[in-house]
Amino acid sequence: MVGGKPNFILKDVHLHIKEGEFVSIMGPSGSGKSSLLNVIGMLDDASEGEYFFLDQPVHTLKEKQRSQLYKQYIGFVFQAYHLIDELTVYENIETPLIYQNIKGSERQAMVADILDRFQIVGKKDLFPTQLSGGQQQLVGIARALIGKPKLLLADEPTGNLNSRQGEEIMELFKQLNNEGVTIIQVTHSEKNAAYGSRIINLLDGRIENN
Amino acid sequence: MIKNFFRVALRSLLKHRVFSFINIFGLAIGIAASLLILQYTRFERSYDKFEANASRIYRVQQDRYNEGRLTTQWAAGAAGIGLLLKEAFPEIQAVARLHDENNIMSYKEKFFREDHMFYATDEFLSMFSYPALQGSVTGALKDPFTAVLTASTARKYFGNEDPIGKTIDLNKVNHYKIMAVLPDPPVNTHLKFSMLFSFVTLEKFAGPSVNTTSDWDGFFTYILLRPGADPGQLEKKIPALIEKKWGEQLNKGKEGVVYHLQALPDIHLSPTYMVEAEPNGDRKAVSFLEIIALFIIVIAWINYINLATARSIERAKEVGIRKTLGSLRGQLIGQFLFESFLINLLAVIIAFVLVLLFLPVFNTMAGKSLTFSTINNTGFWYTLVILFSGGTVLSGLYPAFVLSSFKPIAVLKGRFSGTTHGSLLRQSLVIGQFVASVLLMAGTFTVYRQLHFMQHEDLGIKINQTLVVKFPRVTDSTVTDRLAGFRTEVLHIPGVTRVSASTEVPGRKVGWNAGGIREVGADPSKIRQYRVIGIDYDFVDAYGLKVIKGRNISRQFADSDAVLFNLAAVKEMGFNKPEEVLNKRIEFWGKQYTIVGVVSNHHQESPRQVYDAHIFRMMDHPIDYNYFSVKLTAGRESWPAVVAAVKQQYANFFPSNPFDYFFLDDHYAEQYRSDEQFGQIFGLFAGLAIFVSCLGLLGLASFVTNQRTKEIGIRKIVGAGVGNILLLLTKDFLKPVLLAFLIATPLAWYILGKWLENYAFRITLTPWMFVLPLAIILVVALLTTATQTLRAATANPVKNLRTE
Repeated sequence: MVGGKPNFILKDVHLHIKEGEFVSIMGPSGSGKSSLLNVIGMLDDASEGEYFFLDQPVHTLKEKQRSQLYKQYIGFVFQAYHLIDELTVYENIETPLIYQNIKGSERQAMVADILDRFQIVGKKDLFPTQLSGGQQQLVGIARALIGKPKLLLADEPTGNLNSRQGEEIMELFKQLNNEGVTIIQVTHSEKNAAYGSRIINLLDGRIENN
Repeated sequence: MIKNFFRVALRSLLKHRVFSFINIFGLAIGIAASLLILQYTRFERSYDKFEANASRIYRVQQDRYNEGRLTTQWAAGAAGIGLLLKEAFPEIQAVARLHDENNIMSYKEKFFREDHMFYATDEFLSMFSYPALQGSVTGALKDPFTAVLTASTARKYFGNEDPIGKTIDLNKVNHYKIMAVLPDPPVNTHLKFSMLFSFVTLEKFAGPSVNTTSDWDGFFTYILLRPGADPGQLEKKIPALIEKKWGEQLNKGKEGVVYHLQALPDIHLSPTYMVEAEPNGDRKAVSFLEIIALFIIVIAWINYINLATARSIERAKEVGIRKTLGSLRGQLIGQFLFESFLINLLAVIIAFVLVLLFLPVFNTMAGKSLTFSTINNTGFWYTLVILFSGGTVLSGLYPAFVLSSFKPIAVLKGRFSGTTHGSLLRQSLVIGQFVASVLLMAGTFTVYRQLHFMQHEDLGIKINQTLVVKFPRVTDSTVTDRLAGFRTEVLHIPGVTRVSASTEVPGRKVGWNAGGIREVGADPSKIRQYRVIGIDYDFVDAYGLKVIKGRNISRQFADSDAVLFNLAAVKEMGFNKPEEVLNKRIEFWGKQYTIVGVVSNHHQESPRQVYDAHIFRMMDHPIDYNYFSVKLTAGRESWPAVVAAVKQQYANFFPSNPFDYFFLDDHYAEQYRSDEQFGQIFGLFAGLAIFVSCLGLLGLASFVTNQRTKEIGIRKIVGAGVGNILLLLTKDFLKPVLLAFLIATPLAWYILGKWLENYAFRITLTPWMFVLPLAIILVVALLTTATQTLRAATANPVKNLRTE
């Protein structure tokens, strides 16, 4: 709100994303990229409008149902990795499973699988501060994927990484997309956006071209 | 999930060692201190509650009035009240009456002076459910010259012999047959006795009036109500009964007597009335200590809340991540409560160890013997569990709600400006802590100053260099000569300056209360009560009492019918100037005496009490006195030899009488002991409370300083000096201290004023007594914060900014 008049961060956004797409959202700072991602990720509410996720009207759901939906289908990757400093790599990856009430033995198998796949078995007992940025982001992605989400949301996932690390992450995304995971990423980089199948340009809260 | 919480909690504790230490250690001190204090106050409140009939037993307490003015309050009232009540009110199931006795008891060659003996009616044993260890309690006190002993008394006289059926001698004159041995009365009963004699024996000595008379006080009267009877209703019916039965006699002297029913468990924390079986506890002191216990634990909880919410910015990131990983708010609340649970658990364990370690020290201070077995009771564990769960929930809930409420996006995007979050609450809590600190410190000062004042107050009587020897109990015809011989021999001992005999020595309320005294010819309504001290010719000089008007009693005048009044007694009789009473004659229990002199008031009791109205008079028989006061020359090192010599003479003149002696200043100081103990306990725990607040302040200061590292760096780069930075940071901590002072001062003024009302002679509250605590707390707070801020202020700014 500025001067009593509503100031929309996003306005008249009509967007339809199909399963299996790899969408990159681009636009200058403050254009509303992250806000859009957060609304899609159910971390934020839109003040108006409708949002259907897998045919469920998210805008009408209660917190608990929404959380259920979210836990089951969505994984989030952050620019600043956001790992819990007090937990080891293993435990960080395990945490979402705990919130999904998955049994201990099953959790162990799932975490072991993903550690193996990301080739970070040797790092499993280290704490986040003992890892490089690239490694931390790898753990972040592993954590996002541990619950086998249908949708992976990434907010400038390579923003804090050097270009070589960034490329590796993008290759990984592409591979995941090929395996059927829908990906929506926010990025500043044309190069990264090119990994995706579709680019959405935002300007002042509106979609410029689609 | 718990495992995950546990890991995070434990690692977070280890990572932030200072905060963890402050939290856990502060809580542990708080819990340990509260446990100790509550253990003590629970003991004080536990008196007589063990008694099976406790809820139905009441003691009949008596107030006497003259012309509508309350004059004396008695723990043990008129001899006749017990049976009077029993006959009039069917709701009274039983009445037990006791009258105290102290004398020399002997069995064969063993003799001891016994102070805690009573004549008791047979109902006493069944009313108070005393079982018999040996013999039988049924009808044990029914016949004249029967006695029951406690186990330790039986051991003292009979060793391993079976005492049942044997006789024990009172002053070698009366012989009592032992009917039963009872267990020792518990420590927490107001009525401790070593031996009981049948009440009918007293009836044999004193005649049947011990069952009926309204003007002989000193009879403990306990009533057992029938189940369901209302003591309040009963108490309301007593005045009419008194009016009907004793009204005529009382009205003649414009006297009044009012009875109150004291519930048995309430007696110990009631005021100490006249002829109390033992000095009662102090209800106010107990409440004050409970308040301190509450203060300490609350201060420790506040520390936890303050540090937890202050650190919320650090934890906010974790909250955000967990929320994006699918955690519900409830689960986060659970997690933070779990952390508080963990911290409280650690604190409780440490507290438990602290209690075990410091219990002996605390016992010495409190003059109690709370033992490990006292700890082993359910009350202790209840308190522990309450403190633990209360702490977990009270200190954990607020941080849990604050932390779990963060919006994940806001905190993860760094748009979170947590500095103001809960800072108002933090400020208020810090102020609350300082208010408590100022109160406790002003309280400590006041208690100590009052104690010091009492100990250095001019008593109006010389109690130093005085050896007091208890009188023998001899009844044969040679006693007068033997007493005179003893006196002469003692005066010959080197180092002895004077010897005086009296019925009382300073250090306790005079036990001899004489009612029915008035000026000869005055209206019967002018009857007043006075405390009488029987003295000999040497007493006034030996004790340095000042004769203000008239003269001292003297051998010259053979003053057997002369009395001295003190100033308070002059006033009691209704005169303002001492000269007005000179040579007036008074009626005193059928005899007439002349007031030959007026002496100054003296503190017979501690300055806690007002000056009592005293009449000093000679006793009719030399054996009627209770104490020899042997005045000594200065130089304590010579006293043991004097004591040995006096003991030798005592043994020569009074064989088979135990030599009981004490030094009067020690005896007098006994009166201060409970005040001293209270002062020490109060001081110690007030100190602990303040220490725990400072711990919290330290934590907060270190946190705020860390948070402002960047700001400090920038300020230094633009030219701020160390002094400026220190001022900037400490300013924030001074405000709450000053605000707390403003709140605490009127509160302390009021509370301490109330407390001082307990003391007839007391200090006046002066402003410095409040300013000094403020100054001390300011200095402590400044030093605490300075240790943290100085580090930040002197750090290299470039370094701080680079890490940002």
